[in-house]
Amino acid sequence: MRLQTLWLLLGMAAVTFLPRFIPLALFTRWSLPERIKRGLHFMPTAIMAAIVFPVLLSSAEGKLTFEPRLLLSALPVFLVAVKTKNLWASVVVGMLVYWLLGFAL
Amino acid sequence: MEYFPDMKFGQFKDGARAALPIVLGYVPVGIAFGVLARQSGLTSVEAGAMSLIVYAGASQFIAVDMLAGGAAALPIILTTFLVNLRHFLMSSTIASHFKQNSLPETAAIAAELTDESFAVAMSDTRKIDGRPSFLFGLQTTAQAAWVAGTLVGAIFGPLVNGASYGIPFALPALFICLLVLQLKSRIHLAVMIIAGALSVSFKYLLPENWNLVLAAVMASIAGMWLLKEENGEEQRPEGVGPG
Repeated sequence: MRLQTLWLLLGMAAVTFLPRFIPLALFTRWSLPERIKRGLHFMPTAIMAAIVFPVLLSSAEGKLTFEPRLLLSALPVFLVAVKTKNLWASVVVGMLVYWLLGFAL
Repeated sequence: MEYFPDMKFGQFKDGARAALPIVLGYVPVGIAFGVLARQSGLTSVEAGAMSLIVYAGASQFIAVDMLAGGAAALPIILTTFLVNLRHFLMSSTIASHFKQNSLPETAAIAAELTDESFAVAMSDTRKIDGRPSFLFGLQTTAQAAWVAGTLVGAIFGPLVNGASYGIPFALPALFICLLVLQLKSRIHLAVMIIAGALSVSFKYLLPENWNLVLAAVMASIAGMWLLKEENGEEQRPEGVGPG
């Protein structure tokens, strides 16, 4: 490995590790204030929605787009997820539909 | 296991099994990353090392993109920092499920925290409450898949095509299902819609995934406000950790 790449990787690793580590290290030792703890109740839902909606609805430049292949793949995944609550089934159906739509659209 | 006093192998195995849907997404996306990393001028070893010690998908794609464009190390590191600050929120959320662990154990769990492993862990928090080994097994399996995919892509790159089949939709599909699993009440549904709408709206305005951070924080606050409206001030939401 080249030295300059090693420095790049170590730098990236450090700035990635700290935000992952600091809250876990602090808040498993000292309890968070009750208000903030309550605020974190909806955080998983909020984070996941904030991640997945732009994947489906935003272009690379960040503009709102409606890409039929993405939206038509998302719909059956949503229905399967509601019906089965099964991660495997959802992922397999999603990949299959997305693949088949590649021929149709 | 002197440094990892709380590790339990049975729980580790359960966690590893829970990671399998992530593996299905990480291997092909890892392959795609390996291919791009080689095209940006990294060697196979360097690409694999990045997946091993940085282990943060979105920022790795951005990093090799910047490398290919001739960027220096410092801007890449700064961008990585901004992109990955969102893990601060996930780490804070996960922390409420654990009591004090040894520092090496905390570091091991923290180092492997990703969007996907966080989302799977949150789909059934009973499995991680006070069970760091479960989370460790889940995350280690996911990371192994990411590193393996990267190496396959970096070494056999020209033979595989990450954009083919249904591969690009594996992780979005995983997230859609994980999101559905979160929708336990009308307020959760409202939080989802608010977070999704804000994140999409902010995407054009804010660089480096900051749309996501801001949308998640604002939607969480909105959720707490809606809960207060519904329940009155003193009631605790159900499932808010042992606190």
